[in-house]
Amino acid sequence: MNKTIAVFFGGRSTEHDISVITALSSVIKPLELSKKYNVVPVYIAKDGRWFSDDKLKDVSLFRGQGIDDFCAKSKPISLVFDGGLIFRKSGLSNKDVRIDIAFPAMHGSYGEDGSLMGLLRMAGIPFVGCDMAASALAMDKVLTKQVAQANNVPTSKFVSFSKTDFNKNHDEIIKMVISDLKFPQFVKPAHLGSSIGIAKVDNIEELSNAVEVAAYYDDKIIVEESVENLIEVTVPIIGNDNLQTGLVERPLAHGDDFFDFETKYLNGGKKAGGAKQTGSQGYSELPAKLSESLYEASLNTAKKMYTATGCGGIARIDLLIDSKSEIVYFNEINPLPGDLYAHNWRAAGISSVDLAVRLVELAEDRFIRNQKIETTFSSNFLKQF
Amino acid sequence: MKYYWTRFRLHYPRTLVYMLQGSEYRIKNYFTWLNRSDDFRKIVKRRKLDYTKKAGLLLATVWVILSVIYVTVIALLMIAIIAINFTLGLIAVAMFVISPLFVSYLIVVPLWLGKKIVQEPSERKLVASAYRIFADHSALKIAIAGSYGKTTAKEILSTILSQGKKVASTPGNMNTMIGISRFAASLDGNEDIIVFELGEEKVGDVRDLCDLVQPDLGIITGINEAHLSSFGTLDMTVATIFELGDYLGDRPLYKNSESPLVSAKIINNDKLAFSRRGVNGWNVDKAETDISGTSFIIEKGSKTMFAHTGLLGLHNVGIIAAAIDIADSIGLTIPQITSGVKETKPFEHRMQPRRVDGAWILDDTYNGNSEGVQAGLRLLKSLGAKRRIYVTPGLVEQGDKNREVHEKMGQQIAEVADVVVLMQNSVTDYIANGLQKGKFDGRLIIVDDPLEFYTNINHFVVSGDVVLMQNDWTDNFA
Repeated sequence: MNKTIAVFFGGRSTEHDISVITALSSVIKPLELSKKYNVVPVYIAKDGRWFSDDKLKDVSLFRGQGIDDFCAKSKPISLVFDGGLIFRKSGLSNKDVRIDIAFPAMHGSYGEDGSLMGLLRMAGIPFVGCDMAASALAMDKVLTKQVAQANNVPTSKFVSFSKTDFNKNHDEIIKMVISDLKFPQFVKPAHLGSSIGIAKVDNIEELSNAVEVAAYYDDKIIVEESVENLIEVTVPIIGNDNLQTGLVERPLAHGDDFFDFETKYLNGGKKAGGAKQTGSQGYSELPAKLSESLYEASLNTAKKMYTATGCGGIARIDLLIDSKSEIVYFNEINPLPGDLYAHNWRAAGISSVDLAVRLVELAEDRFIRNQKIETTFSSNFLKQF
Repeated sequence: MKYYWTRFRLHYPRTLVYMLQGSEYRIKNYFTWLNRSDDFRKIVKRRKLDYTKKAGLLLATVWVILSVIYVTVIALLMIAIIAINFTLGLIAVAMFVISPLFVSYLIVVPLWLGKKIVQEPSERKLVASAYRIFADHSALKIAIAGSYGKTTAKEILSTILSQGKKVASTPGNMNTMIGISRFAASLDGNEDIIVFELGEEKVGDVRDLCDLVQPDLGIITGINEAHLSSFGTLDMTVATIFELGDYLGDRPLYKNSESPLVSAKIINNDKLAFSRRGVNGWNVDKAETDISGTSFIIEKGSKTMFAHTGLLGLHNVGIIAAAIDIADSIGLTIPQITSGVKETKPFEHRMQPRRVDGAWILDDTYNGNSEGVQAGLRLLKSLGAKRRIYVTPGLVEQGDKNREVHEKMGQQIAEVADVVVLMQNSVTDYIANGLQKGKFDGRLIIVDDPLEFYTNINHFVVSGDVVLMQNDWTDNFA
């Protein structure tokens, strides 16, 4: 009998819509086509309610008002932890669906940041992708850079501060930033992905405005010095212990621009005005045209950071290269790349179906391995009370 | 009978008419399909019922029959309850239970009556009128017969000859007496050339069609096991297709010498035997094919041309050479012929390439014969690819050679493909056996739902793959 996989998507995150695309196009459809699993969609609405219904597998529901009407008319599910994870649909008679494996297809807060993984760990079922600690770490751009530094992986110079500090000491913080870092700089919310709230700044006024925007999205802000002679590349990786890399990919943008949210997702990878393509990250150099040594160095840096941050299952490592000095800098980690970076895997020789199935197998492998770890021990401690 | 209950669904009458339409209203074929069907929810997959006048009338008839039965059942039940008559009640229930089965057979009666009383007399008139139109028409009439390759040959010929002449040709695969007779009514009367595709399913079909269209010139594209179920033996197939030669007598008949069954009938030094080496003094050189098309040099005496066609595969060279010879013989210039060849492109679902996420898909789903399989595999082998993926449900109507043909096919596929995708049906095991015999060490995927696979092929491929999708079974064969 086929195992039942719950695919989680949507969520209380600024990347809610990207998650819908990832789940429907790169997870649910390929898993169903594999004929190996019963796939149960679990949609988490922006207000946090959970729904499960086969209608949620249809992308047309998410166009226009369809999903709002669906949520208004449907009953949310409740969760039961009864030797695993059960979704319960209340009604005249309760309808229970026992979940064997979870596939989080969520980006950003409450999904990709480790929150959902914590819940799944408590439920005691295998789940796809990075575990709770790695997910939480990867979502913090400051912490991941500190891990890189501890592992002798170069990062661009950066400064970080809290939203509270910025609101209290606006001028001092701006002074600190411009004394520590040269322009141009990148201002980013420390925890968000998909380039939301990110700005490139060239002067104090732009810096101040950009920090305010970033502070709107997050309570922790990071400002990074731009890498000179920049080549931006990214490397998707799958695996737990034996890592398999995709191709080194160079997202392309005009001049010295960078990929903001609009470029990445709304314009299909092209800056506004360009011909539109479908799908995320549609405009890139694949594989990146780098020298053999730089290509290898990129793969090695990516693998090193994947391991150092404790990633498992899948992640994408973003790197910055100074083409003159040939230094490869670590930039950030995406524990669940948008669309699973299926286009890259296809180019690397792994089809969407094989990728989704492989990720489920990796989740099961990790689960079996973790079950062998003893988490309790007997002691006389309580007897002393 | 596990799914007998599916006959009580509201869509059941529509499904019955769909099956009749899908069987081209041939009662024998309809019964064959009906008798092997159990779950009537899974009959209508690839197409929908085309609501023609005939289909509408049949559907209405089914509903009328069912309504009469149900009214009778209700009346009997009421009487049974009032009269407390158990036997009558049992009869009513039995009537209700067998009603869908009853209607599925009874429906052929109005169909047969309609055919005899209305259809056949009107068709006789149509054919007689078409005969007069063709007899009076001054155009050069070219007839194409064969088990395979007829539509491709017709399209190639029409495209090339259209460069200098007004050409009409039978549309799609309209190749029966009725189809061709309807086509006659669409002619303007001032065409220079008319190209006919002659269909064949039983002995005498080609002769009857020749009598109708009265061709001046013929082409035999190739002969194989197609329709073997209805012909019985290959000898009968050969004899039927060569009825075209019998009709033409001394008039020109081009024959594909690359088809072994045609070649066996070719007398030495037949100048009109065509192949990838040439025809009638035309010599082909440097023939090459890739995903962009096929190129070759062809020359005869002082005439030389560089030919490039968008058609894929060297098996196209022979018929193009024949078309070049015909074009030359009726006075087209070399530049006109060159331009005509250049305009020939892959036809829909016949070795038609398209790009999907970095992979090449060769759609050959209208190609359902063993020669097509071999041509497809040769092409697949010749193309550089990360993985060569071969997708097929197998071939239909192979008669008593079904197992042999499919096992051989499996062995041939094993030599070329890295991944094989088979559509689950009655011949899947034969192909799988062939793969095993051919020591296939790649990946074998067997899918239940071909349509789902075709529409989601992007999820199965990787960049650099070449996927050959060969043949697709209609619902009545699946």
